[in-house]
Amino acid sequence: MKPDLYMPVPARIEAVIEETPNIKTFSVRPAEAMSFEAGQFIELTVPGVGEAPFTPSSSPAVKDHMEITIMRAGRVTDKLHSLAPGAEVGLRGPLGQRYPIESFRGREVVIVGGGVGLAPLRALLFALLQEVSSFKKIIIRYGAKTPRDIVFRDAVAKKWDQGDALDVLVTVDRGDDTWTGPVGVVTAILDEKNLRCDPKNGVAVVCGPPIMMKFATVALLKRGYPPESIYLSMEKNMSCGVGKCGHCRIGTQYACKDGPVFTYGSIQSVPKIWE
Amino acid sequence: MRYQIASGHSIDDVLCAISRGRVVYALEPSDAGQYHLVRAETWQPGTSTLGSFRPVEPLKSLVFRPREFLGQVGGNGEQPAMPERIMIGVKNCDLSALRIHDHVMLKTEPADPLYAEAREKTILVSCDCTDCLEVCFCPVVGEQPHAKEGFDINVSPTPKGYVIETGSERGARVLEAARDLLQPAGDALVQERDKSRAAMYQRVVDQAAAKGLRPGMDFKKAISKSFESKLWEDFAEDCVECGACNFCCCTCHCFLLADGRGASGAPERVKLWDSCLFKNFARVAGGANMRPHRAERLLNRFDKKFNFFPDVLKTYACDGCGRCVEACTGKIDIRDVLKRAVDEA
Repeated sequence: MKPDLYMPVPARIEAVIEETPNIKTFSVRPAEAMSFEAGQFIELTVPGVGEAPFTPSSSPAVKDHMEITIMRAGRVTDKLHSLAPGAEVGLRGPLGQRYPIESFRGREVVIVGGGVGLAPLRALLFALLQEVSSFKKIIIRYGAKTPRDIVFRDAVAKKWDQGDALDVLVTVDRGDDTWTGPVGVVTAILDEKNLRCDPKNGVAVVCGPPIMMKFATVALLKRGYPPESIYLSMEKNMSCGVGKCGHCRIGTQYACKDGPVFTYGSIQSVPKIWE
Repeated sequence: MRYQIASGHSIDDVLCAISRGRVVYALEPSDAGQYHLVRAETWQPGTSTLGSFRPVEPLKSLVFRPREFLGQVGGNGEQPAMPERIMIGVKNCDLSALRIHDHVMLKTEPADPLYAEAREKTILVSCDCTDCLEVCFCPVVGEQPHAKEGFDINVSPTPKGYVIETGSERGARVLEAARDLLQPAGDALVQERDKSRAAMYQRVVDQAAAKGLRPGMDFKKAISKSFESKLWEDFAEDCVECGACNFCCCTCHCFLLADGRGASGAPERVKLWDSCLFKNFARVAGGANMRPHRAERLLNRFDKKFNFFPDVLKTYACDGCGRCVEACTGKIDIRDVLKRAVDEA
């Protein structure tokens, strides 16, 4: 008997990219190929320390390794941030449900990210760019604390080399001498002036800190998006990842098994979802 | 198939015969007037007992153990096979609770391999309750103090002898070992059993009525309407977040995967019982917590048992065993909580 369900596949860190002062992207190669689809998450193990859930930030089309963009925020991520290329870690997954990209086809997709929340959205973006002509338009609205806190800075600045095919706008809470873009929280660039969109026919995909997701959802509802067209990444403290351990319950669903992506419509009746 | 014990033989003879060659778990009386679930090498007449009500320890601790070793991180994960076990004296509250664990661990795919193995290797011999504790209230949550299903073999003590019934093919195979000690049960004895069962059921109903509870009360409605009630703050005043209610509960299934290093220094992972009353149960990295207050966590416990499980499995995740009443350091009585929620709904 092997309790494989709960044990990771060995993996090695191949590269570490410093994104911001407290966010790093780890390129990880598992001992056996592990594919995932945009929206699904994995559990990353630091041997002897613990395991934590992350949604990869790299293209789901790449099967032999994945990138995971991680903010230093707790015990496991503290240890992760001290690891260098060559370090042994573990990967378990993929877990959870993917974004229903097929239902996005022919529609406009608005991606709203806050801070490190752009990481899982980057995997979605790569998947969308694989078939960019299937979508009416792809729009990105991203907010970071300061210009130094913008993740994937070069790609963001170059609009992922898509030119006008991508409508990208970034705001920061506090600017600096070099910053010429908007200043304010991300909801400030979801208004009519900064976001021309088609709420009735489009979809909006949101990922970021809980408070940002709450206000972004309020803003999107105000713009006319139906609750069923707003996709939220409900990151809870998934432990088992397979709907058994009970930690990540949201109403009658589990974030790990039924999510982590939920439409606002499917969870809006659950009390305290933003906390 | 129903049997009675042939003349010249005893229930101990039957239980010795069916437990031979297996690891035995049975009940033993405690000085405090309770029973403990203990592991024994054999059925020991005079020490082992069928018990007249449920033991202190929940049956779940045999199939979903408090601490399960999962393996070395980076190791091959192979673990020794579990020997075949027989658990004698299971009471219906515990037996019926396996529907919750089966749903979570087996039917919610992928199945938990440790639970699947333990379930497969554990023969369950249940026994009707012939007495109850003051805290028992199973009829109120739709159960009764005898098993209807889920057992391999059931034993019903009556004033005129034992009725022994098989409930599965495996049970029938196991009972073969006692073939020479048994004969088909007579109708009169089965009627005697039904009379004993009805009397015991009524006794627990009457006892629960003294606490203001009766079968058929709509706890789902009561709890789902209680979210804004002050009752949670009032009861949570006495909660010390010890987790005893979760750990002794026959249905609570939450656990945590925990990493550390073993004696050799190798990284290891274990699966540990967890408690939704613990402050950090729902906490995420960075510090956000869906349920920072005790009252919210206490409500969550009842919401899970009396609202979530009725939604997903059409059953309460409470069998009225009353263990949480006995275990609570703050003397929070689940019956009082339910009564108040019903009264306020």
